Amino acid sequence: MSVDTETRSGLARDLGLVGWQIRYEQRSYWRNRGRGLFTFVFPLMFLVIFASLDSSAHIKSLGGISYDDFLVPGILAYAVITTTFVNLAISTAILRDEGVLKRMQGTPLPRWAYVAARIGSCALVMTAITLVVVLAGVIFWGLSLRLEAIPAIAVTLLLGTAAFTTLGIGILRFVKNADTAPVIVNLFVLPLTFISNIWFPTNTLPHALRSIASFFPIKPLASSLQYAFDPRHHGAAFDGAALRTLLIWAAVGTYLMVRFLRRPLGDDVP
Amino acid sequence: MAGPGERPIAIEARGLRKAYGQLQAVRGVDITVRRGEVFCLLGPNGAGKTSVVEILEGYRTASAGEARVLGIPVGGSTTASRELRERVGIVLQSCGVQPDLTVSELVEMYGRYHRHPRPVDEVLSLVELEAKRDERAGALSGGQRRRLDLALALVGDPELIFLDEPTTGFDPAARRQAWSAIRSLCELGKTILLTTHFMDEAQHLGDRVAVMRAGEIIAEGTPDELGGRDRRPAEIRFTLPDGVTLDDVPAVPGGQRTLDAGHVLVHTSEPVRAAHIITGWALERGIGLGSFQIAQPTLEDIYLELTGGDHAERPAQFPSADEETSA
Repeated sequence: MSVDTETRSGLARDLGLVGWQIRYEQRSYWRNRGRGLFTFVFPLMFLVIFASLDSSAHIKSLGGISYDDFLVPGILAYAVITTTFVNLAISTAILRDEGVLKRMQGTPLPRWAYVAARIGSCALVMTAITLVVVLAGVIFWGLSLRLEAIPAIAVTLLLGTAAFTTLGIGILRFVKNADTAPVIVNLFVLPLTFISNIWFPTNTLPHALRSIASFFPIKPLASSLQYAFDPRHHGAAFDGAALRTLLIWAAVGTYLMVRFLRRPLGDDVP
Repeated sequence: MAGPGERPIAIEARGLRKAYGQLQAVRGVDITVRRGEVFCLLGPNGAGKTSVVEILEGYRTASAGEARVLGIPVGGSTTASRELRERVGIVLQSCGVQPDLTVSELVEMYGRYHRHPRPVDEVLSLVELEAKRDERAGALSGGQRRRLDLALALVGDPELIFLDEPTTGFDPAARRQAWSAIRSLCELGKTILLTTHFMDEAQHLGDRVAVMRAGEIIAEGTPDELGGRDRRPAEIRFTLPDGVTLDDVPAVPGGQRTLDAGHVLVHTSEPVRAAHIITGWALERGIGLGSFQIAQPTLEDIYLELTGGDHAERPAQFPSADEETSA
């Protein structure tokens, strides 16, 4: 084995390490019941609650789309956000407080490889919950999944994951400790979900609120998914404006993440 | 056979300084540690031990001075080279671990980061954690967690191991176990830099001890000769027998007799001769000498003398570097 690892190029070995680390991160994730509940079960619970409220309703302001066709993609957006942004920000804040990040920094595992593995692990959980939500949507709430729309859905999820994972790590610059992490994270996420087409349509809200929602990445994610899942649309159903906003936030998130990672852990603290 | 003086140098620091704003935590520290040596940095909380160690580990930048660890410069930036991280093992003062993974999974995981990891079973047996291999890290006791820390530092088969207060907070049994694990590392020929504020730990494990106080090294030597301990007068002590006065006790050359709460104390630079004279006198007279003992000054006596007895309280101008990093 050792001969093998020495002859392989450094990058190939590091990518192999990322793969291994993703496995360990996955094991950790699924074993921690609290985290699994918070990030994985919550969105499903909301889906069941909201969908059972008024399953036969249609939304006039959105051209008569059924509430279920609106809600399931909205919940999917919420699930993407909790499994990426919320999950990563809170769990990384805990790892930082506990000193695990400092310990990892003392090992030969490159910092980028560790971060890539944590993001990759989040992407796997996100993929899992996407499959569950879409499958449940199709089976129980008549969600229409058109073949032509799948690329648009995939691109949306990819950009959404890129934006919300990098933001989840980048925000740690502004989060002092693990106790305040859930507060700060939800201070961003919760109010925004109410004006971002997640639980109910927001196109009748005041213009100012709608502008705020369009500036942040939650509404673009929800709208883009709703657009692709809308049974009245044909073809690829790419929501260009929404995807562009997600792309910008992915860039902002990457910038913040790199800034956070460059900062040494506690050099100026005695 | 090469004496310790000729062995290659593992750690070399010259004029190391570290300031946090106005706070001068490390004020010009020189350290030389040779390969295969257990070097003990002893000092009260806030003396600057952790700042020094974390500069050498690559966690902190130095404000001034130079340091090389295994020939690799450190202290210039906080991102230690990967080569260094490949060759050193670090046990930080207080440092968490992924709580949902088991002991053996963690050892395997941290081993993968290294090019030549030691087998998991071997590492677990070295730190006596075989029985806990399938236990989640979050369920371990404090002493077991600390031995897991040691396992994770060892699994990469490092040449040099940093141990920052490895037994703080341990009960005596856990401390013995940790010591035996650390001694087995010495037998493997590892170089060890250890910080502690326990005298018995330094005495037990250290080949050489440096005492730090207020950011400076104030004494250095083997545990036996630190602060001239080997040349200090010994103390002979016994209960003053009934019907005998202090003046009855024979005078000893180079020594003085005093009485302390019913005990005779004889301080002497020639303990063997003095003991011979006193016991000879007692045997001749048929007097029993209760609680008879001869003692060199302990490392603790020397340490308290060196650090001005402020072991418990830290100087006000130096908030504890050792503690705050763990907060």
